[in-house]
Amino acid sequence: MLSSWTFYISTLVVYFGVDLLSGISLNLQYGYAGVINFGYIVFQAAGAYAAAVVTLGPSGGAGSFQKYIFGANLPFPLPLLVATAAGAILAGFVGLFSLRRIRRDYQAAVLLIVSLIAIQVVQADIPLFNGSNGLTGVPRPLVNVLPLSLQGYQWAYAGWVLLLCALVYLLVRWLSRSPWGRALRAMRDQEDAAVAIGLNVTALRLQVFVIGGAIAGLSGGLLVEFIGAWSPDAWGYAETFVIFTAIFVGGVRNYRGVLLGVLLVPIIFLQLPQFLPPIGYPGLVQSLEWVIIGVLWMLCLLLRPSGLLPERRAKALPDLSGRVA
Amino acid sequence: MNEPGQEPIPGPGPAAALRDAPVPALSARGVVVSYGGVRAVDGLSLDAFGGEALGLIGPNGAGKSSFLAALGGQARIREGSISLAGEDVSRLPAYGRARRGVVRTFQMTSEFSGMTTFENLLTAGHGAQGAALGAIVAHPRRSRQRDQAVAQRAWEVLKRFDLVGIADSYGSELSGGQRRLVEIMRCLMRSPKVLLLDEPMVGVAPHLVDKLMVDLKSIRDDGIALIIVEHALEVVSELCDRVVVMALGRSIAAGTYAEVVKDREVQAAYLG
Amino acid sequence: MLSTLVSAIAFGVVLASIIAIAAMGFTLQFGLTNVFNLSFGSVMTIGAFAGYLAEVNGINAWYGLGVGGVAGAVVTLVLGRGLFRLYARRGAKLFEMMMVTLGLGLAINYGIQAISRNNVYQFTVLQAAPLHLGPVTITPTQAILAGIGLAIFVSLEALLRLSRIGKALRAMAAEPALARSCGIRTGQVVIITWVISGFLCGMAGVVYIINSQSVGYATGELFLPLVIAAAILGGAGSPAGAAAAALLMGIVTEVVSAYGGPQYSTVAGFGILVLVLLCRPASVLGGQAREMRLTL
Repeated sequence: MLSSWTFYISTLVVYFGVDLLSGISLNLQYGYAGVINFGYIVFQAAGAYAAAVVTLGPSGGAGSFQKYIFGANLPFPLPLLVATAAGAILAGFVGLFSLRRIRRDYQAAVLLIVSLIAIQVVQADIPLFNGSNGLTGVPRPLVNVLPLSLQGYQWAYAGWVLLLCALVYLLVRWLSRSPWGRALRAMRDQEDAAVAIGLNVTALRLQVFVIGGAIAGLSGGLLVEFIGAWSPDAWGYAETFVIFTAIFVGGVRNYRGVLLGVLLVPIIFLQLPQFLPPIGYPGLVQSLEWVIIGVLWMLCLLLRPSGLLPERRAKALPDLSGRVA
Repeated sequence: MNEPGQEPIPGPGPAAALRDAPVPALSARGVVVSYGGVRAVDGLSLDAFGGEALGLIGPNGAGKSSFLAALGGQARIREGSISLAGEDVSRLPAYGRARRGVVRTFQMTSEFSGMTTFENLLTAGHGAQGAALGAIVAHPRRSRQRDQAVAQRAWEVLKRFDLVGIADSYGSELSGGQRRLVEIMRCLMRSPKVLLLDEPMVGVAPHLVDKLMVDLKSIRDDGIALIIVEHALEVVSELCDRVVVMALGRSIAAGTYAEVVKDREVQAAYLG
Repeated sequence: MLSTLVSAIAFGVVLASIIAIAAMGFTLQFGLTNVFNLSFGSVMTIGAFAGYLAEVNGINAWYGLGVGGVAGAVVTLVLGRGLFRLYARRGAKLFEMMMVTLGLGLAINYGIQAISRNNVYQFTVLQAAPLHLGPVTITPTQAILAGIGLAIFVSLEALLRLSRIGKALRAMAAEPALARSCGIRTGQVVIITWVISGFLCGMAGVVYIINSQSVGYATGELFLPLVIAAAILGGAGSPAGAAAAALLMGIVTEVVSAYGGPQYSTVAGFGILVLVLLCRPASVLGGQAREMRLTL
């Protein structure tokens, strides 16, 4: 009993960390760059696939039936770097054509369609990422090297994920407080005025988008190395909406809010049904969860567009010129 | 005054004439701006010189704001050209013109509402170069030094306009006139050559209008070219060295305020 | 070879009429209100199920078209006048409105999934003998559906061009503020728009399942991207444009499907939508932004 509990909790912590990275990424893109990235999940998938194919070894080799591109056997932590790069590169490519100054609802639709196209392409019967079956048998990093039990490894991995979360958070926070971050806030507040002081808002948006893509790729790499498998089932377009709901509920542009939102929505809310007595027919609860997510969205947009925790006002800059009050 | 159809290009005013062969800070020739078939600006030419305030007046719908937008880069020019100190910038996007020294204010005050006045000034002071991600990541120390230099300048600008008191205020806490001043101070942080003002006195309380005029004159005396779209004619007569009158997208008169006010065509345009 | 192409084109025309009915509804709605309504597909599904339930209860499948239409009209009116207007009143911007419709669509879709136990139901329409027109073989049902599409197109165009309501609608779509000050009863026009577009939406759902012979919770979602693509490609607010665009998309989809396989036709459809969204001149023009307003 106890061991299955700790197993469950440690798994949940890993998912929490990964979702937190997703929340940070989406928060950057939506809260700071004003990009409604409804195709977010495709960047996580890019990272996951990238990490998988560089760990699984050559395609079709060693008796494997899986067909994919770019096989390799890179040691830890290279696959994560590859995953991060994959997310960034895909974001750069998508951003270049979709981040022009068009209506934001059109832009959101474009990004959503990108993830729909991606799923169709991957599921097609071509040796890209093994189609609908996806990739399996992705080895966990360092599992033979570290002298840990299965449970111990779980905790170690959870700790590793949380460490990366903290590092990413610190990096993003540092960037947000820099003149670059201030330029982003200016762009968000009054885009025309930002342009009028010489800021190239399209370039800024692209930069944020790519950074968000990199974080998304990292999250995908971490996830696939933990689960060991990745297929189109894992990255349907609706997954993006779960993270969006999390940042809406918790608080946009506000990293404590993201933390709260990720805790509440993907973790507590979506895990809750496992502890309830079975209701109705199998599958009913899953359907109802999605209904509630949809309703939550609408409620958040109606009642608290900025989430439960409002953005903290920037503190006045420390006096560098020795002025007298 | 002007024959119908002849494009009046106002010559340099008294302040500029003191220098030899002045090059206009900003020049427009035959500018046409159209929105879906409607010609908001129909072939307008003018020169603006440093150290001068040029007023752009005319009845509603004359195309004044559209012309200003064309100068700033917010609106695309269908025909014609715009030059800055002799260099053609017609193809340059708005952010490029801003980097070349053309700054502007907007009809609705456009201060960055999520930041204090001081941060507004910092953002403008850094501009694109200071905000460049690569520079910040690769040279953190240089970036911090730059931050201090910009903060120093921001403080000087605040002192110059006697607005130290609102340094830590957010836009929502300020009056219309104060917000306009924040916008203008922000423009100055760019060390501009040309300042475009779109109805600067809108929403400004009367006592601040006087201060604003004194401040704008002081900016003009620094050698910056001011182009002001304004409806309040008493402001125009007090502030502007020269005036161009627009109607239906074209210039119908140019000269000092006293001169154009006597022009029959101008009177007809306003009353008709 | 040629017969494959001609056959594909014929199927494309049939598919086009199905898309066109929905697209004309979408474009009417979108052109006037500017709401990028992603729950349109869900309402199509509601209409489809209404038609299905009517048939199960003994009503002829063709009358089911009307039943679906009415269901769509009622739901759309309630949503438009009630829910969407609520958000608009509170100052929702365009993209926020789109997100609302997205959440709504999710809730409706999965609500239907919950109620229908995620089943797919057979929806049979008695088929007469197929018609052979040269190299093409289509069923009378498909021919009738194409005919219905055509009839709707003609009626809508007549409505917009000849009737007073139609003129009011076009005026409002072009210049909402101006129309209001001209004395046009804008509230009335909006209500009529919701009703007509909702009717078309619900009916399109039934049309789709008459063709596909099955109905499930995902019915509407499957071809919503094609509908939106046709509406935007043809120009928001123009049923003629939507119909023409639907024709183009229907034919392209079927031809690609015939030569490349159904998955590529889906990608082609999505690709067209992306291109349309990126290239259609609905962009914000910098500082002189003609800010699109919501008209609800």
